[in-house]
Amino acid sequence: MTAIDLQPAGRPTSRVNQQNVTLVALLVIVGVLVLGPVFILIRTSFAPAGTMPLETWQFSLEHYRELLTSPTTWKLVRNTLVYALCSMGIGVAIATGIAWCTERTDMPGRFVVRVLMFSWMAVPALVVGFGWILLINPGNGALNVLYRELLGVRGILFPLYSFWALTIITAFAVVPTAYVMISGLLRNMDPQLEQAARVHGGGGWTVIRRVTLPLIVPGLFSIGIYMFMAVVQTFDLPLIIGLTARFPVLSTRVFLLSSPDNGLPNYGFAAAFGVLLLVIASGLMWAYLRATSAGERFRVVTGKAFRPRRIKLGTWMPVALGFVALYCLVMALPLLMLLWVSLNTAFVMPSLEAVSGLTLEVYSRVIANPVTMRAATNTIVLVVSSATAVMVVSTLVGWFTTRSDSRIGKALDALSFAPMAIPPIVLVLAIVLIYLRTPVYGTIWVIVIAHSTIFLAFGVRTMSSALIQLHTELQDAALVSGASWLTSLRTITLPLVWPQFVNGWLWVFAHSARDLTAPLMLLSTTNVVAASALWNMWQFPDLPGTAALSIMLMLALLVIVVPFQIYTARRLEAH
Amino acid sequence: MLELDSLEKTFPGSHGRQATRALDGVSFTVEEGAFFTLLGPSGCGKTTTLQCIAGLEVPDSGTIRMGETTVFSDRDRIMVPANKRRLGMVFQSYAIWPHMTVFENVAFPLQRGSQRTSGANVRKEVAAALEMVELGHLADRPAPMLSGGQQQRVALARALVHHPRILLLDEPLSNLDARLRDSMRTEIRNLVKSVGITTIFVTHDQVEAVGMSDQIVLMRDGAIVQQGAPRDIYLRPNSVFTADFMGRSNLVPGRLLAAGPEARIETPFGTLLGNSAPGLTPGDPAVAVIRPQAVEILAKGQPPTDNSFSARVVSLNFLGNVVETEVEAGGQSLLLMLSPYVQHGVGDELLLYVPAERCMIVPPEAPARTTVAP
Repeated sequence: MTAIDLQPAGRPTSRVNQQNVTLVALLVIVGVLVLGPVFILIRTSFAPAGTMPLETWQFSLEHYRELLTSPTTWKLVRNTLVYALCSMGIGVAIATGIAWCTERTDMPGRFVVRVLMFSWMAVPALVVGFGWILLINPGNGALNVLYRELLGVRGILFPLYSFWALTIITAFAVVPTAYVMISGLLRNMDPQLEQAARVHGGGGWTVIRRVTLPLIVPGLFSIGIYMFMAVVQTFDLPLIIGLTARFPVLSTRVFLLSSPDNGLPNYGFAAAFGVLLLVIASGLMWAYLRATSAGERFRVVTGKAFRPRRIKLGTWMPVALGFVALYCLVMALPLLMLLWVSLNTAFVMPSLEAVSGLTLEVYSRVIANPVTMRAATNTIVLVVSSATAVMVVSTLVGWFTTRSDSRIGKALDALSFAPMAIPPIVLVLAIVLIYLRTPVYGTIWVIVIAHSTIFLAFGVRTMSSALIQLHTELQDAALVSGASWLTSLRTITLPLVWPQFVNGWLWVFAHSARDLTAPLMLLSTTNVVAASALWNMWQFPDLPGTAALSIMLMLALLVIVVPFQIYTARRLEAH
Repeated sequence: MLELDSLEKTFPGSHGRQATRALDGVSFTVEEGAFFTLLGPSGCGKTTTLQCIAGLEVPDSGTIRMGETTVFSDRDRIMVPANKRRLGMVFQSYAIWPHMTVFENVAFPLQRGSQRTSGANVRKEVAAALEMVELGHLADRPAPMLSGGQQQRVALARALVHHPRILLLDEPLSNLDARLRDSMRTEIRNLVKSVGITTIFVTHDQVEAVGMSDQIVLMRDGAIVQQGAPRDIYLRPNSVFTADFMGRSNLVPGRLLAAGPEARIETPFGTLLGNSAPGLTPGDPAVAVIRPQAVEILAKGQPPTDNSFSARVVSLNFLGNVVETEVEAGGQSLLLMLSPYVQHGVGDELLLYVPAERCMIVPPEAPARTTVAP
């Protein structure tokens, strides 16, 4: 039952009340955040060459003509899709293996793996990328040097600047997110379905092959599409590895057109590429929504306490443990390398003899740098404001979309979900176009606007699935007791969804801190944040400084995120 | 005290479903202090009616008055929101807030409601309300640590603590187990009667309705089918639907010969005298409603009278307190509830008698209407 009046005009009710005022405010905020950029982007892509956005009334198809006739366009599209498909395939396969081990077998250390995986999502891909470059770059990459010295050969162990290196590093980076989704899928499967198969004579492997797998394949398929979409939109790894590997994708192309190393930005052509990327991402979004029914989007995560039977690994135990441990080692290697580099004032190969020369000098140098202090302050302002803004708006949007069947509620839902299909690089380009001539441009707040839009879809999904599980009667009871709508929201609804609110807040917090797209494209002299400071130091190049700042950023994120993940994992284990 | 006048509500269709007319001209008046029940199968509009009274749902048209105040009127563009209506409500799920203690739950209407009171007063009122439901000793217990019956009592205390004008009960007994339900039934009725508050009770269980109410409104497809005291509704159904819903009945099809309080109907086993429902005219097809308990057995050899007929026992089912007996008369099968102390055998011929005042003659069932075109 809806508790609110959202019906069309002609209603006998007083239309000015807390709900309606809030609803109108939300529609305006979400509309401006989401529709504004899309509109500006499309308008700019139709502007004649050489004009600035919003300065002309002329329409021209020349950018699209250039886009469609240029052979590089099709190479870019093919590159993007092949790269996304391979990374997604490898990443989902690894994640499925680990999720199966932690959720359905008696492998020891499940708890640690779960916490590691959740916490890993807070490690910036940029930092991991730097670590890999230090490890396997063709010149003095530590692994390559080790390989040459141990075997006395020339050449390299693994070519860093290649399609496959980029793909595999991206695949490793998407594993934690895929793991979180797949483990939820496995955990929520009704164990009675498997028990029924066993009772009727199915052996262990038969049950996995004939019942478990067919049951999770649809879910795996939609997670696959989701991860594919995520890789298509990714920007940081293609930027730091792909460009040197001469493997351009659509996102790096949009970046180079709008922030060229030399010459004027070609916003119109960048916008045309942005529209192309937007069309591809929207197509994937459509496929994802088709694959997951509307019900699955708001899947009831808790409620029934399923306790699936765990499979005894027996002699397979070392294989499973080895597999998970190997993945964790591979993930840890680049971070360890960064730690090593940060502890030396100049680049030194890792070795036992060099341990005596380790020093914290670089850290004190980086901290003493006024740019670092400014970046730290800006980062705190950015992540706290984005996380808070996103979660407050998301809670309200979630309330209206789950408590009303009306068209306005549906429109709000669709609108807040749309940023999911807008690649961050495209959205940030549009934000550049909108705010270029306003005083907001160049301040930290323009990045806050960008991040609030980018992470809105996640926030709304989190809060919608929390609110849809909350019985409407809980809030109705407060209303009938005489509490106003806002009071009931504040005293009843919000406290009851508080864990999900905090969880979502931390997620936005961590992702806002690790994102490079918006800080880099919107970079000015004053709004430098941790991610853009890292990029600047890396370009300078100041390798020990970059490494030290990476380590500090990562530690700061982990200190905030890990305790909450341990708490959540404990609660899951206790269920 | 409470007056509803031609409430209309249509839920717009969505996801390819047709629009549903939830309320179709619902009007009734509730006396001050009455225990008033809205009864009907699921989807009949009883919960929507209650939600409209509570202010949680907005009717499309009609008027709702509480005492002297109009709380809803489409013509005068009045819609008093739920929090300004001074009501108490017990929800089907109880809606006990799990993040609060028992005390905090009950104190909420006084601390956050539209008419707030001082701290000392809150403590006094909450203590009194908890004492009333015999939960005074549990005030500091966290709400999730209550049993179903205790949660229900907390919900009652919370609904009454701020002295509301009307108490609304939305199927409060449906989540309790059978034994607890029986005892809570009398307890709730005694409690609201001692407080003297006007109570609107929604249920789909005719036993609850008959046992607790002063007045019952029986609803179907968003409209009122029959209104009256429990005894009236049970003994004098005005339709096949009421007869069927209020308990087991024999529905004997026939043709009306004469209408009114001394009506006659032609049935497969002869002509019966009875009461006919309004709206029937002689010659119409009609249905005679005969409760299984209404039929008497005449001694063998007694001369046949009006409304007596012979029947043959087809099957017997000994249930302890009654013997469920199926008989056949003139090709029509009838169900009787006979005393367990009298023995009959399959194939026995019985002479049966239905007193005329126990035979209600109603129109044949019209096809159910559930949806309307948008």
